[in-house]
Amino acid sequence: MPSIRVPSALRTFTGGNADVETTATTVRDAIADLDRRHPGIAARILDGSGAVKPFIRLFVGADEIGSLAGLDTQLTDRDEMSIVPAIAGGSDRA
Amino acid sequence: MTHAPVRATIVGAGGLGGPIALSLGAAGIELTIFDHDLVELSNLHRQIQFTAVDLGHPKATRLAGLVVSRGGKARGVVAKWRTPSELDGELAEYVAESDLIVDGSDDPETKFAVAGWAVANGRQYVIAAALRYGGNVMAGVPGVACYRCLFEEPADVPSCAEAGVLGPVVGAIGGAAAAIALGIVRGQRGLAGALLAFDDLRSVAEPRILKFAPRPGCPACMRAPISPLATPLRIAEGEPS
Ligand SMILES: [Zn+2]
Repeated sequence: MPSIRVPSALRTFTGGNADVETTATTVRDAIADLDRRHPGIAARILDGSGAVKPFIRLFVGADEIGSLAGLDTQLTDRDEMSIVPAIAGGSDRA
Repeated sequence: MTHAPVRATIVGAGGLGGPIALSLGAAGIELTIFDHDLVELSNLHRQIQFTAVDLGHPKATRLAGLVVSRGGKARGVVAKWRTPSELDGELAEYVAESDLIVDGSDDPETKFAVAGWAVANGRQYVIAAALRYGGNVMAGVPGVACYRCLFEEPADVPSCAEAGVLGPVVGAIGGAAAAIALGIVRGQRGLAGALLAFDDLRSVAEPRILKFAPRPGCPACMRAPISPLATPLRIAEGEPS
């Protein structure tokens, strides 16, 4: 089963889980599946038109989906899809 | 250290900037360190370059002083980083002549500005970020896909100010950023143009190395002297380092 790697910043939606399995066969369906089980998370990944937000990138294995087939990129059994946000944090505050 | 650049700019003197500055300073690189903040008590547990005697003093000058006390060359600038055209005199020169710029700030706008300036001016750069239990490090050199090819806009996801970051995590991410920075200035480009994602340093120390292509229309690459859009190099892929 493909798995989805959820970043720290979005684990409040998944009850702290870093890895979520999915039966979806495309990246687009995987996000929909994730949102069915963890309502609200899709709105943090996609904008109103269904495009990936400009400060979020999605990878299948080591490759950004823009260099694959975008949201239509196929997921196979052993694929790991990762959600990677541009992290703002760094240094100074608690 | 024959291949080390003469000069580097470090943006941020906090939890990431500390290990970055100490490592690069110890490697003989001359540093200009920017940070506008003062050392506060709440910083000490994860900004281990500071102690109680630094409280209330500017982070930039205190960190520069520590680099110097360990035999390095550094100056601290008590201000937010700005591009050379927004700075005056000697300081503008130091930044303009930096061979390398490393961002360890906690400010998304600054990360974008640093990456944009570095790419447009053909400089090597490293952007480091930490949040909660993980973080990202991206290293760039001229001619490969850049930070702004990857992320089009600064994030609206939580910063440290809202979400916090575990003390040892910033040290680990800062150390990784320093190691990658030293690698690229010595000509090891195997990780340039890739994003290193450290998911959870409580359990997994190994980063995932994620690759991405140059983005058509990237505002930084369009101004770059060597644009990856014109000459699509895939340096991130399998080049020995
Ligand atoms: Zn770019």
